[in-house]
Amino acid sequence: MPTAAALRSEWLKIMSMRSVVGSLAAVFVVTLCITVLVSAAVGRSEARHAGFDPVFGAFHAVNFGQIAAIAFGTLVVSAEYANGALRTSLAAVPDRSRFYAAKMALVAGPVLAVGLVTGFVSFLAGQAFMGEYAMGLGHPGVLRACVGSAVYLALMALLAAGLTTLFRSGVAVLSLLIPFVLIVSFVLGDVAEGIAAYLPDRAGQLVIRARPTGSLGPWTGLAVTAGWAATAVLAGRWALLRRDA
Amino acid sequence: MNSIDVQELTKVYGTTRAVDRLTFSVRPGRVTGFLGPNGAGKSTTMRLVLGLDRPTSGSATVAGRRYADAEEPLRRVGALLDAHAAHGARTARDHLRVLAASNRISVRRVDQVLEESGLAAVAGRRVRTFSLGMRQRLGVAAALLGDPPVVMLDEPSNGLDPEGIIWIRELMTRLAREGRTVLVSSHLMNETATFADHLVVLGRGRLLADAPLREFLDARSRPRVRLRTTAPDRLRSALARSGFALEPGDDGRWTVDGAKAEAIGTTAAREGIPILELSDEQPSLEQAYLDLTAGEAPFASTSPTTRQEV
Repeated sequence: MPTAAALRSEWLKIMSMRSVVGSLAAVFVVTLCITVLVSAAVGRSEARHAGFDPVFGAFHAVNFGQIAAIAFGTLVVSAEYANGALRTSLAAVPDRSRFYAAKMALVAGPVLAVGLVTGFVSFLAGQAFMGEYAMGLGHPGVLRACVGSAVYLALMALLAAGLTTLFRSGVAVLSLLIPFVLIVSFVLGDVAEGIAAYLPDRAGQLVIRARPTGSLGPWTGLAVTAGWAATAVLAGRWALLRRDA
Repeated sequence: MNSIDVQELTKVYGTTRAVDRLTFSVRPGRVTGFLGPNGAGKSTTMRLVLGLDRPTSGSATVAGRRYADAEEPLRRVGALLDAHAAHGARTARDHLRVLAASNRISVRRVDQVLEESGLAAVAGRRVRTFSLGMRQRLGVAAALLGDPPVVMLDEPSNGLDPEGIIWIRELMTRLAREGRTVLVSSHLMNETATFADHLVVLGRGRLLADAPLREFLDARSRPRVRLRTTAPDRLRSALARSGFALEPGDDGRWTVDGAKAEAIGTTAAREGIPILELSDEQPSLEQAYLDLTAGEAPFASTSPTTRQEV
């Protein structure tokens, strides 16, 4: 089946590049390390504050893990735009819809898998430092956050991959998305109202909150992020299918 | 038949007609040299054949089908377009494994083409550490991966050392002898003359010539004879009676324009004039090509004698 062959080829592409494998591993390492460090250092003192969201506290490091996920999505695609490697790829798989679908599947799949492991492992590791404030997996919202954070990471990687295809440049996308998720989000803080609530990272991160406030719920927020990702992926597909390689 | 057929092919980029109503066929069993100045449309034509660029009008097919319609195209057409089109962070072997996987070609075949292209010893090195010559070999290895009946190589001898040039020449000749269709673009005229059986010449995106190499040369070069003699004066007057002029050439030899060796030899023998050396001058592809493409090169310098494609 030719689609299976295209998927296998894309998988080998990922596994044969250190930087790409490294960015995927970084999703796990960064999220886990920051969760453990923050929980160990300020976890219990933070938990004492009124209005503290214990679920968001446990999954806050996804904010940093997503940078690695964005880098992964970008690198997987931008490798094709270095030195016209895309021509070699499209000569091997001339059906561009199939080529692009295989590529996007291998952006989303590995991030989702690594994201699930990251979600569970870093939650459990972080809670080990929380003393009497520790939550179990059965705590309201925790299981949802474990799975939701993985979906969120995969969607952010897809958003980056779609934009990289559209702009044919990893540098452009990284310098757009990383300041966006780091600065714009922090500047907006906890403002969850108006247009800001519908930004891809703000909306999607509702899934890692115990009690989302505002008009969006945890899953509808994630659906908004999915909408952003789908738009970027479709825009990339449109560009790839109509451009000369 | 596994021929490449280009029909009324036109590609317009903005205001530039890169390829202009081009029609020609590349037949199996012989090496077809694809010639033309920089910007003549050779690489564009190859990209159009591979479906990488979309033609403005016209069509390009391989064995009667569009390249993009093939399920496993590397088994039908092998192409070297750009030696740099391999990601530098991958090893040579990984680069080929990725391509092989997409067309369900075995890993054993990957090792085979690495061996065949002389890269077996460096297969585990990252492509970014490769010289241009090694990248060319890798590109050729990729083209051979699917054991395709049609092979298209864009400037394969670029950057190759003398040993590599002999290798690629023998490879192309062998591929053609095996009955495959071989299209090779090159700027090196004298090099092309050593392996091409047939020529397709482009200028400004249009077809200038489509002919067997021999015929192309004969049609575009005046015969000329070079000789040495101990009696130039007697020979001169004997030739003058047949309407030929004896001109002093370099290094003590003489030349006769517009004549074949048979005619001069017969005349000299009849007159009893001693001839020490007598040969037809081999027409050079370079000169024939330059005569044909004069005025067709967008980047030509003003002095035609110094014009050289690199």
